[in-house]
Amino acid sequence: MTAPLVRMENVTVRFRGAQVVHAVNGVSLTLEAGQVLGILGESGSGKSVTLKTLLRLLPESRTDIGGAVEVDGRDVLALNPQELADYRGAVTSMIFQDPALALDPVYTVGEQIAEAIVRHEKVSQKVAMARALELLELVRIPSPARRLKAYPHEMSGGMRQRAMIALALAARPKLLLADEPTTALDATVQIQILLLLRQLQRDMGMGMLFVTHDIGVAVEVSDRLAVMYAGQIVETGTVRELLRDPQHPYTRGLLAANLHGAKKGERLEAIPGAPPALNSAPDSCSFAPRCKHAQERCRATLPPVVELGEGRVVRCILAESALAAA
Amino acid sequence: MAQEAQLPTTPDRGGAGTPLLQAKTLTKHFPLGGGAVVRAVDGVDFAVLKGETLGVVGESGCGKSTTARVVMQLIPQDKGEMLFDGEIVGGRSLTLKEYRRQAQMVFQDSYASLNPRLTIEDSVAFGPTVHGVSKPAAILKARELLTKVGLDPARFAARYPHELSGGQRQRVNIARALALGPRLVILDEAVSALDKSVEAQVLNLLADLREEFGLTYIFISHDLNVVRFISDRVMVMYLGEVVEIGPVDELYDDPRHPYTRALLSAMPSMDPDNRTMEAPLAGDPPNPINPPDGCRFHPRCPHAQTVCAKVKPVLARTGEGAREAACHMEVAGSGHSRAPKLEEAA
Ligand SMILES: Nc1ncnc2c1ncn2[C@@H]1O[C@H](COP(=O)(O)OP(=O)(O)OP(=O)(O)O)[C@@H](O)[C@H]1O
Ligand SMILES: Nc1ncnc2c1ncn2[C@@H]1O[C@H](COP(=O)(O)OP(=O)(O)O)[C@@H](O)[C@H]1O
Ligand code: SF4
Ligand code: SF4
Ligand SMILES: [Mg+2]
Ligand SMILES: [Mg+2]
Repeated sequence: MTAPLVRMENVTVRFRGAQVVHAVNGVSLTLEAGQVLGILGESGSGKSVTLKTLLRLLPESRTDIGGAVEVDGRDVLALNPQELADYRGAVTSMIFQDPALALDPVYTVGEQIAEAIVRHEKVSQKVAMARALELLELVRIPSPARRLKAYPHEMSGGMRQRAMIALALAARPKLLLADEPTTALDATVQIQILLLLRQLQRDMGMGMLFVTHDIGVAVEVSDRLAVMYAGQIVETGTVRELLRDPQHPYTRGLLAANLHGAKKGERLEAIPGAPPALNSAPDSCSFAPRCKHAQERCRATLPPVVELGEGRVVRCILAESALAAA
Repeated sequence: MAQEAQLPTTPDRGGAGTPLLQAKTLTKHFPLGGGAVVRAVDGVDFAVLKGETLGVVGESGCGKSTTARVVMQLIPQDKGEMLFDGEIVGGRSLTLKEYRRQAQMVFQDSYASLNPRLTIEDSVAFGPTVHGVSKPAAILKARELLTKVGLDPARFAARYPHELSGGQRQRVNIARALALGPRLVILDEAVSALDKSVEAQVLNLLADLREEFGLTYIFISHDLNVVRFISDRVMVMYLGEVVEIGPVDELYDDPRHPYTRALLSAMPSMDPDNRTMEAPLAGDPPNPINPPDGCRFHPRCPHAQTVCAKVKPVLARTGEGAREAACHMEVAGSGHSRAPKLEEAA
C-alpha cells in the first residue's frame, strides 16, 4: 500500500498571547493523491488554521503545534527553511477567498506567475513567461496574452480568482489547499470557478483540501467530507454518506440550516446558542452545550471516536449505539 | 418638544388592498466624472403588499442596495416617486421624517451599524429619544425589545457591541430597527454574515417578529435558498432593472426570464449524484456603466435575437398567476420567434 498524500495525526494548534486560543484540538485526516476532501465548518472552527499548518504559515514564535503532519512523504513540521521554500508552491500550494493575499498589486500577473515558475525550475524568463500564458489559458481567462501584462486591480473579481489559481498551479503542486476560494463571488461566478477547480484537479491529478462553510459548494467539489466544530473533526465520510446518513447532531443541524428544500412558513430546527470560546483544551464534548441529546457523559469526558466503517468516523456517543445496532 | 411616553403606532390608512409601498420608475444614477454614469437603478417599478416579504435577488452590482437606500430615502432618487400606504413619500401628508420612522433598515455588517461607545440598551433606545420619547420610557421599551429578540436584558443590556457575537449583534440591530415602531423593514444581506446555525435562529426570529408586529419585509440576499424560504414574492434584478417578479414558488419552479433561469441553475445542486456539469453563464456580471441597448441581458442570453439588441422589453404579465417578466419571448408580436403567436394570445 502506498502512503497517502496527506496524513495529519492528532494535530493540535495553540496560539499563545494575551489570550490562549486552542484553535485545533486533535485533528486526524488522510487524503489520497488525486482526491478531494471538503472541510466544512462555521467561522472559527479551525479550518484555515488546519490548512495553514500544512504550509507552515502560522507565526512560529506564538504558535505551538503538536502531532504529526506528513505531505508526500515529508515531515512538514521538521522541514528546515530551505526545504520549506522548496516545498511551498512545488508540493503544496494554496488559494484564498481574497486574491489580494496571493497577488502582489505592484507586479503584473504574468511577472508573478513567471517568478513562481523560475523559483522552482531552472528555466529562462522567456520560457517561464510562455508557461504563464499557458496557465492563463488553462484557467480560461479571456484574452490571456493581454491579461499577462495586466495588474491585479485591472481585473474583475472572477478573473482575479482565476489568476490566483494560475499562480498557485505555476509549479505543478501535488496538493492544492483551497480556503473558501468562492465565498466572496456571485453564485453565477462561483459555479464557474468550482467547475474549473474540479477539472484542473482531475486533469492534473492533484489532491485538494477544500475548505468552505457552504455545504452546497462542498458537495459540488468533494469526494469526501470532514465536518469541523471547535477545532475538531466531528464526522467524516463520503459526500453521499454525510448527506444521506449524517450521524453527528451538529452535522444534522448544519444540513437543516442549509435550507435546501425547507418549506416556507415552517419553523427551522435551529441549533441554539453559539460555538464555544477556545480558551482551554476541550475535556468534554464541545458541542454538548448546544446538543439536544447531551447526557452526563458528554459533559464529563471527551466523546469516543467511533469508526463506523473505512474512513467513516464520528465523534459522538450516539455513534456507539449506531455501531452496536449495526 | 413635548415628551411622549411611547411612539404612537401608525394605523393602516389605505386598507388591505393598498400596497404598503409602491415604487414608480425609481431611478438613481451616479456620475463618475468624465461623462461616465453608473446606472445603478434605472426605472424600477414594484409594489410591496401589506404583511408580505418581498425577496430581492440578483448578481453583485445589479442595484439591490441602491434600491434599498433610495426606498429608505438615505439617498434621493433622480427620478420616480414612492407611495407609502397610498401617500406620496415626502409629500404634504407623509413627511420624510414621519416616513423614516415607519421604514427601517438592517444591514449586513452588524458591527459597523452600532455605535461602539453605546451600550446595546442605549443603542436601541437612541432612535425613540430622538423622536421625542423620554429616556426612561425609551429604555423600558429597549429592554422589552431585547427580550423579544432573545437577548435577556439582565445579561446583555449593559454590554457594548464588541462584547457580543455576530448573531447577537444582529439581534440588537433588529431590535433597534423595531424601536421606532416601523411598518416596513428592509433587510439588506442582514443574515449573510452569520454562520448557518445562527442564521437559522435569526430567520426564525424574523418570522416571529413579522407575525407579532404585523411587519412587511423587503429581504435582499444573495442566498437563493434563504430567499425562497422567507419570501412570499421575489423580485429579480439585472443591471439596474427588474427582469422578473412574482410569487416565490411559481418563480422558482418555473422561471420565465432567461436570466432568472440562469441564476437559479447556478445554485449548487446538493446532490452528489447529480453535480452541476455546466455553468449557466460565462464571465463576470457586467458593469452598469454604459449598459447594452435593448434587453440588457442580450449579450449573455442564449435566446437573444435581433429584436433583443434593439428594443427594450418591458415588464409584462406572464404565466397563470401574478407574474411579470421583461423578455420578448413572453410578449406576443414582439418579433422574437419564440414569442406566443398573436392570435393565440388574443
Ligand atoms: N455612491 C456611489 N457612487 C458610484 N457608484 C455607486 C455608488 N453606490 C453604488 N454604486 C454602483 O452602483 C451599482 C449598484 O450598486 P449596489 O450597491 O446597489 O449593488 P448591489 O446589487 O447591492 O450589489 P451587492 O450584491 O454587491 O451588494 C454598482 O455598480 C455600484 O458600484
Ligand atoms: N494567528 C492567530 N493568532 C491567534 N488566534 C488565531 C490566529 N489564527 C486563528 N486564530 C483563532 O483560531 C481559531 C480558528 O480560526 P480559523 O482556523 O481561522 O477558523 P475558520 O474555521 O473560520 O477558518 C479562531 O478562534 C481564531 O480566532
Ligand atoms: S457526544 Fe453527546 S453532546 Fe456531543 S454531540 Fe454526541 S450526544 Fe451530543
Ligand atoms: S429579451 Fe431577448 S435577450 Fe432579453 S432575455 Fe428575452 S430572449 Fe434573452
Ligand atoms: Mg477561515
Ligand atoms: Mg448590496
